[in-house]
Amino acid sequence: MALLTCDHCLLTFPAREALSEEVQGVKKTFCCPGCRGIYWLIQEEGCADFYKKRTWEENGTPPAGLGKGELDLRPFTGQVRDSSSAAKAPGRLREIDIYIDGIRCASCVWLNEKFLKKTAGVVYAAVNYATHRARIRWDPEVTGLGTILQRVRAIGYTPRPYVESERFRAQKAEARDLLIRFGTAAFLSSQLMVFSMALYAGYFQGIEGEMKILLEMIALALTVPVVFYAGMPFIRNTLRGLRQLSFNMDSLIAIGSLSAFAFSLWQMFRGGEVYFDTAAMIVTLVLLGRYLETTAKGKAYGTIEMLAEMLPQEATVLTGTGQEHRPLAAVQPGDLVQVKPGERIPLDGVVVSGESESDEALLTGESRPVPKIPGSLVIGGSTNLYGSIVFAVKHTGEETTLARIIRAVEDGQAQKPRLQILADRSVGLFVPSLLLVAALTVAAYLLAGKAPETALMAGISVLVIACPCSLGLATPLAILTFTTHTSSRGILVRGGEVIENAKKITHVIFDKTGTITIGKPVLKDIIALDHAVGKEELLCLAASLESLSEHNLAQAIAGAAKGRGIQGVSEFKALPGKGVLGKIGERKICLGNMRLMAEQGISLPGGNKGGTALSSVAPGDTVMFMAWDGLPRAAFVVADGIRDEARAVVAELREMKLRVSIISGDNNQATQYVAAAVGLGEARAEASPVDKKEAIRALQERNQHVLMIGDGINDAPALTEATLGIAMGRGTDIARESAAVVLIRDDLRLIPYFLRASRKVYGIIRQNIFWALFYNVAAIPLAVAGLLHPIVAAGAMAASSLFVVGNSLRIRRMV
Amino acid sequence: MWTIYLLIFITLVLGVGAWFLFLWAVKSGQYDDPERPKYTMLDEDDED
Repeated sequence: MALLTCDHCLLTFPAREALSEEVQGVKKTFCCPGCRGIYWLIQEEGCADFYKKRTWEENGTPPAGLGKGELDLRPFTGQVRDSSSAAKAPGRLREIDIYIDGIRCASCVWLNEKFLKKTAGVVYAAVNYATHRARIRWDPEVTGLGTILQRVRAIGYTPRPYVESERFRAQKAEARDLLIRFGTAAFLSSQLMVFSMALYAGYFQGIEGEMKILLEMIALALTVPVVFYAGMPFIRNTLRGLRQLSFNMDSLIAIGSLSAFAFSLWQMFRGGEVYFDTAAMIVTLVLLGRYLETTAKGKAYGTIEMLAEMLPQEATVLTGTGQEHRPLAAVQPGDLVQVKPGERIPLDGVVVSGESESDEALLTGESRPVPKIPGSLVIGGSTNLYGSIVFAVKHTGEETTLARIIRAVEDGQAQKPRLQILADRSVGLFVPSLLLVAALTVAAYLLAGKAPETALMAGISVLVIACPCSLGLATPLAILTFTTHTSSRGILVRGGEVIENAKKITHVIFDKTGTITIGKPVLKDIIALDHAVGKEELLCLAASLESLSEHNLAQAIAGAAKGRGIQGVSEFKALPGKGVLGKIGERKICLGNMRLMAEQGISLPGGNKGGTALSSVAPGDTVMFMAWDGLPRAAFVVADGIRDEARAVVAELREMKLRVSIISGDNNQATQYVAAAVGLGEARAEASPVDKKEAIRALQERNQHVLMIGDGINDAPALTEATLGIAMGRGTDIARESAAVVLIRDDLRLIPYFLRASRKVYGIIRQNIFWALFYNVAAIPLAVAGLLHPIVAAGAMAASSLFVVGNSLRIRRMV
Repeated sequence: MWTIYLLIFITLVLGVGAWFLFLWAVKSGQYDDPERPKYTMLDEDDED
């Protein structure tokens, strides 16, 4: 027997379970009927190209839930609305936005769209590549929502209700508003340039007075909407800031554009030169910068909704007479709730009867399945793995562990102060000094006995020339170049503050499970207890048995023997919570934990202490024994594998003068062991999600800036709280949404690279800001002397913009 | 002289036309998913 690869989901699985099928003369293998069904369906609908196109880097999950259970339509029905474009189509159409889970590449998007469009009655279907959100419009007289969603499930994806958070909607509206303002400003400014050029030419060659006035009138008409419509947000913010005498970028932009506008208007009647182009360009370029900035923020703010979706909608409550399905809100503390294998545990409680194991990795960071026997605590949101259990509800509503995590994430998001970006801080001093220079100029002119009119105009011209429009581009352009570049290296960066935050970092905190470690168990060592049998053979026997088990410890052993031959097993039996039994050749083998060995009457070396007496067993490791004919033959040490690069990365971060530590929800022994293995002394164990967050806050209150790296739901509050949060790409969606940076490749080496690159980019931003100001400041003496000309203003603007663009492009080669 | 007036008029009309086109594009969601177009060209769709 060997391991095969499923042609649909690319999962490797033991050949015993294979389903084969001839498709167009080629033999195809599948791991389960679900995959076969999907493969056929995709063939039948003429979408076979999907298999050629897809670019999956790892296998998918077999569609375990397929066909099992009805899709609960209730969360969706509230989201259905009448289509706004109904006027164009006959009849009234319905529309819904859903989120499609399981999309991993462009072909998945293509496949889903194809399938939805082929559904009778569906008029429109579009899946967003970036957000995996689908908008579907259908004719309610031909088909129903249930049928449509069932189509998505039929090809192995999971539709989820899509609820847009308030913040996300606001962000989207802001981006669209900025785009319209920028676009309007850009079109008008480009028109304006034509007329300004004519006026420049007129200045050198001479121009008829009548023509000059005409061109100026047109320029005026084009500038008014730019300054007073497109530039309105700047003016509004300036007026707001004026009350508190605070100056930021907006005030500088407003002062610059308004003074240029007023100056030009006055010059028009006096017959002088106009600066309408300066006024319009300032606004346009800064709007461009703002727009780039908002698009860099990307999709965010879905965390809380996703956390809430972790809980099932209802619970099976045991009453005196039988069982009853109740919505979660109607379950009281003390009620008895039954959970079947594979189901999510709905609430926190204490097990009353039944035995099982539950997967709490996402909530607590514990990497191994946690045994559940009567008296154990269960956590709402974790998954019950093997046996049916009944538990007494202890906490409901706001008191549950998950609800506390949600609150901690909300707190973190709400309390995070908005960082004042470098450009704003530089301007804070620049604006007052600029106003001072302008005032001094006016005073000097008056003292020299000039007319008040001339004095005032000289003062205003100082303001006109000093406003650096490329300042608005200095930060966004550098950030845009940086994020585009890093995304090709496997780092997704969200938002511009990331670079300034990354530069400040003093302390790096790693989560353990899934971050420093791989997050799933791997076989660490085989200890032969019977030296008559070779290690190779022991592994082969164990792998043959374990390849039939679904337990993740079993898969660690099966995975280690991948590629080697596997022997046929008869009389196979899995004993949940203990191990497996089976017959290979003449040997009746049992493989499992100490409890199984005790049951089978096998005495182990080291007696009751079992595995811990063995030399290569470290705290946190799991030991499984294999025995036949009443004698122990081997011990298998399984541990959560530490990432190969972890140690080097820790050392590198230390070299960068950063403090590094580990914080984990796992037990103390396991945590200390991993910490020591990667060369760390500082480790905190048994930290709840809220503890992690508090630990970070405590550090930050002592003026430390913390970089948190994590992957689980239990890290979400900490990732939100930290100065900078980095999520592992294979981590949970919730962790990714809470963090500002996501490592698409789960490679820890990207962290020191990213920190170094951020420092360099920060340097570039500083240069950009300096030079953006420099060219304009250099022209101030001309304004003071009353020699300012529109061409000088345009030249300063062009020179500084070119510098900022060129300098930002340098980032591509530097990092 | 009238040619200049005419040309000015034409540039303004063209500019405003382009502006309206842009407004339409934004409002109809052309800028909502900038990821998409680079894949659409790879889909060999014969029906639409």
